[in-house]
Amino acid sequence: MSTSATIAAPAISTEHLTRRFGDLVAVQDVNLRVAPGQFFGFLGPNGAGKSTTIKMLTGLLAPSSGRMQILGIELTQDSVAVKRQIGVVPEGMALFGRLTGSEYLNFVGRMYGLDRVTAAKRTAELLDFMQLVDQPKALVTDYSHGMQKKLALAAAVIHGPKILFLDEPFEGVDAIASNTLKSMLQNMISRGATIFLTSHVLEIVERLCSHVAIIHRGQLVAQGSLEELRAGVEAQAAAALTAAGAPHEIDAPAPAPGAKLTLEQIFLRIVGGTRRTDQELSWLG
Amino acid sequence: MAGLTFSSETRGQFSAVARVRWQLFLNSMRTIRGRMEIVARVFTFLAFGMGGIVGSIAIGFTAWYFVYSGRADWLPVLLWPVFLFWQFVPVMASAFTENVDSSNLLRFPLTFPCYFLIRIAYGSLDPPTLMSSLWLLGMSIGIACASPLLFVPAAAVLLLFAIFNILLARMLFTWMERWLAQRRAREILGVLFLFMVIGFQFIAPLLRHFGNRSQPAVSRVALQALPIERLTPPGLAGEIIAHSLRGEYPLALGWFALLGAYTLAVLWLLNLRLRAQYRGENLSEALARTAAPMAKQQIRPGWTIPGVSGAVSAVLEKEIHYLSRSGPTLFTLVMPVVVLLIFRFSPGKTDGAGGLLGHAFDLAFPVGAAYTLLILTNLVYNSFGADAAGIQFYFVSPLRFREILLGKNLTHSLLLVIEMVLVWAAASLLYRPPPWDIVLATLTGVFFALVVNLTAGNLLSVYTPKKVDLAALGRQRASQVTALVSLGIQAAVLGLCALAILLARAYHHLWLAAIIFAALAAIAIVIYFLVLKRLDSIVLQRREAMITELCRA
Repeated sequence: MSTSATIAAPAISTEHLTRRFGDLVAVQDVNLRVAPGQFFGFLGPNGAGKSTTIKMLTGLLAPSSGRMQILGIELTQDSVAVKRQIGVVPEGMALFGRLTGSEYLNFVGRMYGLDRVTAAKRTAELLDFMQLVDQPKALVTDYSHGMQKKLALAAAVIHGPKILFLDEPFEGVDAIASNTLKSMLQNMISRGATIFLTSHVLEIVERLCSHVAIIHRGQLVAQGSLEELRAGVEAQAAAALTAAGAPHEIDAPAPAPGAKLTLEQIFLRIVGGTRRTDQELSWLG
Repeated sequence: MAGLTFSSETRGQFSAVARVRWQLFLNSMRTIRGRMEIVARVFTFLAFGMGGIVGSIAIGFTAWYFVYSGRADWLPVLLWPVFLFWQFVPVMASAFTENVDSSNLLRFPLTFPCYFLIRIAYGSLDPPTLMSSLWLLGMSIGIACASPLLFVPAAAVLLLFAIFNILLARMLFTWMERWLAQRRAREILGVLFLFMVIGFQFIAPLLRHFGNRSQPAVSRVALQALPIERLTPPGLAGEIIAHSLRGEYPLALGWFALLGAYTLAVLWLLNLRLRAQYRGENLSEALARTAAPMAKQQIRPGWTIPGVSGAVSAVLEKEIHYLSRSGPTLFTLVMPVVVLLIFRFSPGKTDGAGGLLGHAFDLAFPVGAAYTLLILTNLVYNSFGADAAGIQFYFVSPLRFREILLGKNLTHSLLLVIEMVLVWAAASLLYRPPPWDIVLATLTGVFFALVVNLTAGNLLSVYTPKKVDLAALGRQRASQVTALVSLGIQAAVLGLCALAILLARAYHHLWLAAIIFAALAAIAIVIYFLVLKRLDSIVLQRREAMITELCRA
């Protein structure tokens, strides 16, 4: 792979990426394309195939079929070269509970090939940035969920990756920590890194991400910039209105007159509407 | 335990826990690995069951003989081994004992008595309890055959003795878990152990001193100790049966009450521990420390091990951190020395100075070495067990699994070297320094066994991993399949070693065994590196199964 080819290549691309678990097709024919430097949000309802996709892209799961390229390198051909360039916060956070935070970061740094001194220096900087210096002797297993998330993110960036894969990075993180994480991610983007994240917090995705893809029942149903998605949904709604000749009953909240569709509204329109619950679970206090 | 009423809610909770355990058992059979686990478990239980039944017949027959021949006073001779087996085996083999984690029950509205009973019920389903119970059953049948009228009192006493033992075993386990969880307590236990080892040095001269005395003097000491022995639980149980046989019922009842008081005392101590757990006790070491706000930390750079890459050094450093924080593992590592102590001071067939090894003092070092290999099984054969969700990191890092396993293998080898030095020192102090040819043969034999174990261990760590908790006593056990396969491998290795030693002895040159072991080790090393070379592709095939097993909650 030549340098120019690597630069020209998309940061992440998949072709007909498919994953089956027995009879269940968790991910089907997904064709993703993420350009270098994009802050990319990968959305979908529970069980849609988000985590399965991110696991395949990071080498935690083998695809049943299809191709994946990271920075122009075929993942299945040279996974070690790919892994050197990426940082990952997987679903389970991949932490070693019986180490202290500094021991863990030091360990991760050296596993990514940093020399002892650099690993130690970056460990100190990251612990300071993430405000994890208060309990130097505490074991990771005794950290709060939010602290563990911050530590997992620190570990994912210690080697200065070109692409960062984050599976639900804001889940269980308080507002202060969330702010710290967001500023760090935005700094990374401004320095040319690519970030691929899944999240259920659509407000955060809307604020951070320039591009979004939506997966539903294993299939990619939308992909593009926020504006492209918004325009697509609005065009669809207009077409439906024209065809029916009357306001079409859409089972999703509508924007205030004159306001733009929010990502939540776009998401709900694409994957389906809301569910009425007032007649259900009447025994609940 | 006041307040335990079997309301419909309590009954519902008991049946729900039993049902969920049954459902988990059924669900575990959905996978091939799960089915293999159950087959292995059946084999294990059959082996223990056989031991239980054979022992039960032997104990039953002996009890019959004692009662029939009017020697019911001798029943403690049978009760003591049962007591010691019941109490010491689960603790000594804590790495092979299963301690069910029931902390997740705490979120349900369980009353404390209900929680207590569930803990006792599930914590007691271990092989030593089943075997010991079978032995006591055999004993009561033997007594009943000799004297049918004695059946009811004997059964009642042995039932109380069984309850006492179940509670005592759980009590010891929970308190040890408590002590081993924190560094300060571990250090105190370590110092106590050191004193114990040094103290034992004075026992040998004492034994020799008493051993040289005339027989009546020894008997006098034994007679002086007898009243104390009668007050111990096994002594009491025997006394009650003997008094019942002689029709001395008030005395029997008195002793029965005392045994009941012991049981209540143990129950109270166990209650203290379980109540703390019920209240959500956290034995974390970190929480005991005060959080001190710090400026930017000075981080000490990681270790550098000459001759290996930085990543392998990092794995080794991480493994050492893990082991040094695992009280139960450190406790297990002391066991080879304890075994030598037991061998040294248990009654032998000679003058009492040699213990179980009799005049074969030279075997102390090989015996200790063999036991060391056995206790390392759980670590070597389940290398990723303690990593839990951390296994994901290994899969996303740019490192080959052969390097990760090399780091882990180096740690385990280092541990074995340290253990060998300790065992050699203990054998030298307790017996005498082993001759050079024995040392050479043992070391080469251990080296061969180590390479075989590491090779098989690397494969089984990938094929049948099991998440373990290094911080909790009794939660380090590898999978049943691993246990069974490793047992077979150990048996094969020991068989080969025995053959080599027999051959060497036939030629009256023990160093011949060392040469044979060295040749076997050379072959084993070639296989080790061949397996290591293929490991990355095997790991890729097993990736999903490994992550699923090790990341489960």
